[in-house]
Amino acid sequence: MSNPPHVIIIGAGSTGSATAHDLALRGLSVTVVERGEIASGTTGRNHCLLHSGGRYCVNDKEGAIECIEENLILRRIMPHALEMNDGLFVALDDEDYAFQEDFLAGCEECHIPAREIPVKQALEIEPFLNPKIKAAVQVPDGVFEPWRFCTSFLATAKKNGATIRNFTEVSDLVFQGSAVAGIQVFDHRTGKTETIGADMVVNATGSWAGIIAEMAHVNVPVAPTAGVMVTIGTRLNNMVINRMHKPHDGDIVVPVRNTSIIGTTSWRVTSPDAIEIPQDQIDKMMHAGELLIPSIKAGRQRGVMAVARPLIASANVDARDFSRTFEAFNHRKQGGAAGIITISGGKTTTARGMAEKVSDVVCAELGISVECKTKTTPLVSYRDFYN
Amino acid sequence: MNLYRPELKRFRFLRWFDFRSWRLGMLAYILNRVTAIGLVVYLYLHLAVLFLLAQGPSGWDPFIQIARTPWFLMLDVILLAGLLIHGLNGLRVALTGFGYGVRSQKPLFIALMIFAAIVLAVGVFKMFMG
Amino acid sequence: MSLQVTLKILRSRPHQEQRYDTFDVTVPDAANVLDAIEQAWAHHDRDLMFRHACHHASCGTCAVRINGREKLPCIAPVKDYDGGEIKIEPLRNFPIVGDLVVDVAPFFQNQEASDFIITRPTENELDGKAIAHTQGLDPESAPTVPFNRFENCVECGICLSACPTMSADYKFFGPAGLAAIKRQLDKTTDANEREKLLHLADDEHGVWRCHSAWECTEACPQSVFPAESIMALRKEINAQRFKKFFRL
Repeated sequence: MSNPPHVIIIGAGSTGSATAHDLALRGLSVTVVERGEIASGTTGRNHCLLHSGGRYCVNDKEGAIECIEENLILRRIMPHALEMNDGLFVALDDEDYAFQEDFLAGCEECHIPAREIPVKQALEIEPFLNPKIKAAVQVPDGVFEPWRFCTSFLATAKKNGATIRNFTEVSDLVFQGSAVAGIQVFDHRTGKTETIGADMVVNATGSWAGIIAEMAHVNVPVAPTAGVMVTIGTRLNNMVINRMHKPHDGDIVVPVRNTSIIGTTSWRVTSPDAIEIPQDQIDKMMHAGELLIPSIKAGRQRGVMAVARPLIASANVDARDFSRTFEAFNHRKQGGAAGIITISGGKTTTARGMAEKVSDVVCAELGISVECKTKTTPLVSYRDFYN
Repeated sequence: MNLYRPELKRFRFLRWFDFRSWRLGMLAYILNRVTAIGLVVYLYLHLAVLFLLAQGPSGWDPFIQIARTPWFLMLDVILLAGLLIHGLNGLRVALTGFGYGVRSQKPLFIALMIFAAIVLAVGVFKMFMG
Repeated sequence: MSLQVTLKILRSRPHQEQRYDTFDVTVPDAANVLDAIEQAWAHHDRDLMFRHACHHASCGTCAVRINGREKLPCIAPVKDYDGGEIKIEPLRNFPIVGDLVVDVAPFFQNQEASDFIITRPTENELDGKAIAHTQGLDPESAPTVPFNRFENCVECGICLSACPTMSADYKFFGPAGLAAIKRQLDKTTDANEREKLLHLADDEHGVWRCHSAWECTEACPQSVFPAESIMALRKEINAQRFKKFFRL
């Protein structure tokens, strides 16, 4: 084993970036390989929602608690890369209104600060909101910008000595006996294939985790679940507007910069690469968005995007109800190859927490004990990545 | 020639002539440079002509003969056009360059060019008919 | 319900001759040019290098030139280029890393020089309505923080690619960098900070290098109007000099 131990992280999405930061901060030697641009997979095309956990506080309490904890940490470590305007959960009909009780109870149970505000005040704050809403609850949602989110983590990792190689695609794993001892990569810039040795490989490829797992002859139960989002070319809300009911298609409008993004749908896909965008899903989004903010109807549709979330599959459960929580798979302990750990599931909001968990597993496997310091370490500017 | 070859770094200004991306502002920018070169060339020609004056009537008279031909007058029209475009656009660049009328640089250019066209028309009329 | 489109992409690598490759792809009606590029990568050539992340004009990574004009392909609908080829080339005035990928490092260093913060208080039609209570949501104890939002500039580099001055002087600070200085100047009242920012703009390769072609502003996908910032900076610098000269 080299000293300090060398860890390779495959994938520079939110999980890989945060893990690189965590391990570099713990003093390990870190190399990140990414086949394309930073955040060019699932993280890039996400909803930009810094979850308060409100969306999951009734159905998925574990996921909700992770969200609110990480939300408050991110506000401290990357304040300049967030829009911190809170979120509103609004009840549109009687059914939603009846759900409010469960919702507030869920928020309390998950320690999500929630406050009911009078409808009149809500409409004053958000003039484009549907005037027929029956109730409004404010929670500490926020907005981040996915590429800058990842790049901030990577810039900090780089400052702490990590090497980040984008446009470097893993073509195979290198074995020593039955254990993974490195990777073989193809560098798209130079057209050269090379081998990089490692004491541990972290598979942080999200929806693509299955492909790397296959190279290691192990199995990861990731279920790529696609979602579509529609961007409106005008900013129609200051806060994140959610519909107060169980998570559903098109029940959220997230404001980012000068736009509003409506999301999202959910369907299973076989391959996570280049997902086609079905027109009916777009129409569905627009229609659902208009219920929350009627002005969306007159808005200019600026862009549409679709991508696969790396949810952890469980049998007999509908894709929408898969937990949003994450899991670190230590393949050696499951009887598979040593030297490789897969981290998947979760959300960008919880990326730091996922990184902490997988880094703990990595350190335990390598027999070192260093404390995680990411909770209190402010990140440097994303632009420092290019220094 | 592919202008985007990395080794052509020194000739990057040739990209100015990739007209696919030209808009009105860029057209004005190119016109200003072309007319500037034209006016500098004219300045030297003018000096050469003035030099003829020093040689007395024997040098000057034949030149005046040429200067009265319609072909030569055409050159005068081009000179006048260049002066008007460069001068008036120069006003626009100076104004906007100090922060005035920034948002109306396009209408300003169009208005000034219409004015230039009118003055040019009057000038041509005077030259050929006057 | 799909569109057939031919992409002609400029391919380059340090170790290869530059060439144009042609890809025939089929995309849904709602697709943007970036989706078409991604299809070409997914189904035809996995070695195609291009940058992309958010697919909704927020990250600024995907900027390229489409038929000669700088665009964000993530918000350029394929149906706007109905029929015929779509020619895709990397941005101008940046070193090429490979295919459509350019080296944005010098650009980001300039952006960082002014400590340009990417968030700001809201100032659109939603302004002045209310304030957000971020910490703990307790209206009594919480500080009254105004709503904030990300700046319009996505730092895509399109203005640098469109700028003719940039082609002649590649040390030019660039429209985005100068606009960032102006934004930062508007956000601060600290005299030293203002002095530092104006000094940065008043450089041999700063505001005076702009020669008013307005291409930056015409090409900007986010209506940032960098030219206006450049001219406003000149005004401020002149005012400062005037004051100094007459010892006002």
